[in-house]
Amino acid sequence: MITLFNYMVDHGAQIWSLTVEHIEMTAIAVGISILIGVPLGILISYVKKMDKPVIGAANVVQAIPSMALLGLGIPLMGIGVLPAIVMVIIYSLLPIIKNTYTGISGIDPQMVEAAHGIGLTKWQVLKKVKLPMALPVIMAGVRISAVTAVGLMTMAAFIGAGGLGYLVFSGIRTVNNYQILAGAIPACILALIVDFLMGLIEKLVTPISLQKNFGVSKEHLKKNRKREKVTLIVAAVLICVLIGNGIVGSMEKQQKTITIGSKDFTEQLILCNLYADVIEKQTDVNVVRKENLGGTQVCYGALKKGDIDMYVDYTGTLYCDLLKHPAKSDMKAVYNQCKSELSDKYNIQLLNQCNFNNTYTLTVSQATAKKYNLNSISDLKNYDSQLKLGCTLEFQNRGDCMPALKSKYNMNFKKVIGIDGSPRFTALQNKEVDVIDAFATDGLLMKYHLKVLKDTDHLFPPYYAVPCIREDTLKKYPELKKAINSLSPYLTDSVMMKLNYQVDEEGKEPADVARTFLQQKGLI
Amino acid sequence: MIKIQDVTKDFKGKVVLDDISMDIKDGELTVLIGPSGCGKTTTLKMINRLLPVSKGEIFIDGKNIEEIDKVELRRNMGYVIQQGGLFPHMTIRQNIEIIEQLENKPKDEIVDNTVRLMKMVDMDPEEFLDRYPTELSGGQQQRIGVIRALANDPEIILFDEPFSALDPLTRNALQDELVELQSKVGKTMVFVTHDMDEAVKIADRICIMKDGHILQFDTPEEILRNPADEFVANFVGVNRIWDSPEFIKVEDFMIKDPVTCVGDLSAKKCITRMRTHHIDTLLVVDEDDKLRGMVGRKALFNAKNPLVAADKIMSPVQYIAHPMDSIVDILKMISETDINNVPVVDDDGRLVGLLTNSNLVSTLSKQFLTEDDTEGTVN
Repeated sequence: MITLFNYMVDHGAQIWSLTVEHIEMTAIAVGISILIGVPLGILISYVKKMDKPVIGAANVVQAIPSMALLGLGIPLMGIGVLPAIVMVIIYSLLPIIKNTYTGISGIDPQMVEAAHGIGLTKWQVLKKVKLPMALPVIMAGVRISAVTAVGLMTMAAFIGAGGLGYLVFSGIRTVNNYQILAGAIPACILALIVDFLMGLIEKLVTPISLQKNFGVSKEHLKKNRKREKVTLIVAAVLICVLIGNGIVGSMEKQQKTITIGSKDFTEQLILCNLYADVIEKQTDVNVVRKENLGGTQVCYGALKKGDIDMYVDYTGTLYCDLLKHPAKSDMKAVYNQCKSELSDKYNIQLLNQCNFNNTYTLTVSQATAKKYNLNSISDLKNYDSQLKLGCTLEFQNRGDCMPALKSKYNMNFKKVIGIDGSPRFTALQNKEVDVIDAFATDGLLMKYHLKVLKDTDHLFPPYYAVPCIREDTLKKYPELKKAINSLSPYLTDSVMMKLNYQVDEEGKEPADVARTFLQQKGLI
Repeated sequence: MIKIQDVTKDFKGKVVLDDISMDIKDGELTVLIGPSGCGKTTTLKMINRLLPVSKGEIFIDGKNIEEIDKVELRRNMGYVIQQGGLFPHMTIRQNIEIIEQLENKPKDEIVDNTVRLMKMVDMDPEEFLDRYPTELSGGQQQRIGVIRALANDPEIILFDEPFSALDPLTRNALQDELVELQSKVGKTMVFVTHDMDEAVKIADRICIMKDGHILQFDTPEEILRNPADEFVANFVGVNRIWDSPEFIKVEDFMIKDPVTCVGDLSAKKCITRMRTHHIDTLLVVDEDDKLRGMVGRKALFNAKNPLVAADKIMSPVQYIAHPMDSIVDILKMISETDINNVPVVDDDGRLVGLLTNSNLVSTLSKQFLTEDDTEGTVN
């Protein structure tokens, strides 16, 4: 408990800025959903033929997993704040549309007829009678949307939009419970505050005559209203200031700026910071760090779209996943093929590859290794029916991973469990699985003293890290090439594993680890 | 004047009004009444164009309402429904003033008008204007509904069963107030109800409808006394008239051909005539049927000469009734005097009938007997 408190104090500034980001994005998303949802709800309450299609569509959209929606959105909107907000808007629409529709359709038709009968125009009936009477129901919908949006917005970190989800995602990845809580607790508090404020609004827009205690204590109600109004005004001003700050801040962005992205695991975060620091030191280009983007597809999509200018990928990934070639173990050939093809097809330049090969490995605990006398991957084939494999979803699906294991060694594990990120190591520790896939430079391998099985038959293709950069960025800032290439030779297998270890085991920040390393090597 | 001319209304092929026509006179309170589904509410809603006419036309002061802008038409036409149709989220003041506000009338004019209207229905403006409808009783809400209809000073006010959800006492009070209000403001009012008591009480004219047709459109009195057909008679109810006994006229229950004699008939013949008719009084008339006097049994027996002419011994008539006098007048007359027979004489002094104690009794007893009993005993 005290450690958690310390963590939160130490990272107070970061938590605060992420919270502000979170509030900004949520407020904008909910605001826009109201602007779309309420008129749409009103429309379908008038044009009854449209109610089923519209609500049906909203229902269907809500049923799409948010991850899928974000992934599908990358080709259209890229990464960052915009797609995150759009995703939350899409999810927030249903309760708002539904409640607006229900609220307006639920008004006593006699009342509406009376309003027409005494000479109100259609518009006046809506404005003076229908909306004020339906407002409590509409606000109840907005309240549901807003509270859901706060939770949903944590997904924004998946595509580099920041927010409190950033802490949650990083925490899960590095098995840092304090970090998870540092993201989750503010998100919960935020949700509660939003619920409370929305509840106040709901009460305030309920005509005083329709409130529950009306009649018993009219004076009391009126007095309460005043206090509630003050609370809301203060909250509204605060949110406006936050959003205003954000907008001003984003306009102050300097001209000479590039963005470096990273995938969502430790090594990528370190690489992102290493390259960013080197560039900032050796050139006058500023670097925006978009860390923790969802995965290869997200980063690559963002690079193609221009949302980021550079990120570090691995030759094997580029070769097999993105360019769809069958796996190949010749490191030089793979690099050259990738370089020419990416440049020709997508105007993406590959710079010099780093000196480490973060390929897939299969890993077991020392005890398991001893028990079955395991040294290389091929040793597994005698015991495959007794062992459970815990691996990433990517590992299961990639042509050069599971399918290759099957075709080359005819391996069929007792059970294959899909687990992403560091929970694999936890599962291995808890003996829920016996074998896991791991990256060769993973610091957690060091942390848990695991036995890495040798890939004697070159089953996995080479995965040398290589900076991928947009050609137009390179044209604009040619000085980048020299700076980036100056760093790459220093990064070897053992260096990377050590750096990863410092983050994963020692709990240091990737940015600090990167800076210390660069200082030691005299690069900055 | 509201003129409804050859109007037909059908909902998806089902005819609810079949070619009706009626003229609603200015300054009158016209009640539309009939069993549910008769088309009375439909008729009302077509007057302010809440429902479109399928065929035919409606004119207000000679102008086809289709040519008047809907909103303008309705703002010049009050509309009152159950509970007044008040908006629960607005204060009483906002409810009353809504149309005036939308019309952008001067502020102080609106305020003055609201106060005046509140006083008209005996409600304290100070106390009620800032309250909400739910804080008012049903009757109070209904009064507000009525004055909201009056607020924009329309010539016509439409009422759609406004009092039907109220308790009988409140309903009665409001009916009285409405009649009083009507006499004060003199607006043209069209009032839909299914309650015949209400109709008889407030209407200047009643329109009885059934299955989309008008069965009878007349004054309450005429409808009670001369129902157009059996349905109207049944709808009005046999005994309904006893709720308004002033509508029961002498001509409805007098003996229509009383036994008379001319002035020169001899006393002896007079006695013979009285015996054959089992009566004790003869009415003496001239050749124009004008009443000259009465000859009672006593006067005849006292006559010394059996051949003396009737006009020599007849007594003058002290009390006479007019055929349009009501039963109330007659009962009053009889209770104040001590007479058995009252001749009925028209405006020209001609004898048209006779009232006797026994036919008064049988008339009065009708209200206590069921229809079957009436057939069995009185005839």
